[in-house]
Amino acid sequence: MHDDTTPAAPGTLAVALFAGMAAVAGRRRIEVPWTGGTAADLRHRVAEALPALAALAARSGVAVADRYVTDDAPITAGDDVALIPPVSGG
Amino acid sequence: MTTVAPTDRTAASADVDLVHGPIDTATLLAAVGDVTAGGNVLFVGTARGVTDGVATRSLTYDAHEPLALATLRGLQREAVARFVLTACRIVHRLGTVLPGEASVAIATSAPHRREAFAAAEWLMERIKRNVPIWKCEERPDGGREWAHPATAARPGGDA
Repeated sequence: MHDDTTPAAPGTLAVALFAGMAAVAGRRRIEVPWTGGTAADLRHRVAEALPALAALAARSGVAVADRYVTDDAPITAGDDVALIPPVSGG
Repeated sequence: MTTVAPTDRTAASADVDLVHGPIDTATLLAAVGDVTAGGNVLFVGTARGVTDGVATRSLTYDAHEPLALATLRGLQREAVARFVLTACRIVHRLGTVLPGEASVAIATSAPHRREAFAAAEWLMERIKRNVPIWKCEERPDGGREWAHPATAARPGGDA
């Protein structure tokens, strides 16, 4: 067990989950193996780590340090990363 | 001749907010009032009790709060510049919202009504596309479902 403040283990990336993704995963954070890659790679890595998230991950935007990033943005272990599935506010 | 100075709006941080309780829409509208503004629009989005014939007991909103605030601030600034608004405030509620209660409110003011109306509509369209807020529809039978619209593009696609 860990909470959101526990640092991710070396070689892994902690990804924040929200809404339907958190409901499917049963938690608000998932750790995926990470030796480097882009925001687009992150979607695939999350889908591999937890296939039940694949459909929403494929339709998600990526945020790093509370900003949206483009698909080609590099992501390094330790980054503050979140997957943003299609939104439904309002 | 007397010159009337517009209200000082340096407290820009108050222009967008996420709240975990009821939205005070009257205060929001009053806050955008100004002697230089002749058009003041208040849009209030409320939780529907029925959607496509299915009853809703409540809605629960989740958000990536820092990103939602940053995105809302960006939209607020863009709306003020694009529509030459006198003032603009946006509030979204998070947590559980009952049918009839406000989940989002936008107040805009401009010298004339056309820009105030247009800005409120423009903002709602973008909030529904890019601001990381999600609703969960909770039915009377206990069923619940997070809404992730199938037709939507990936949020942040304009990043």
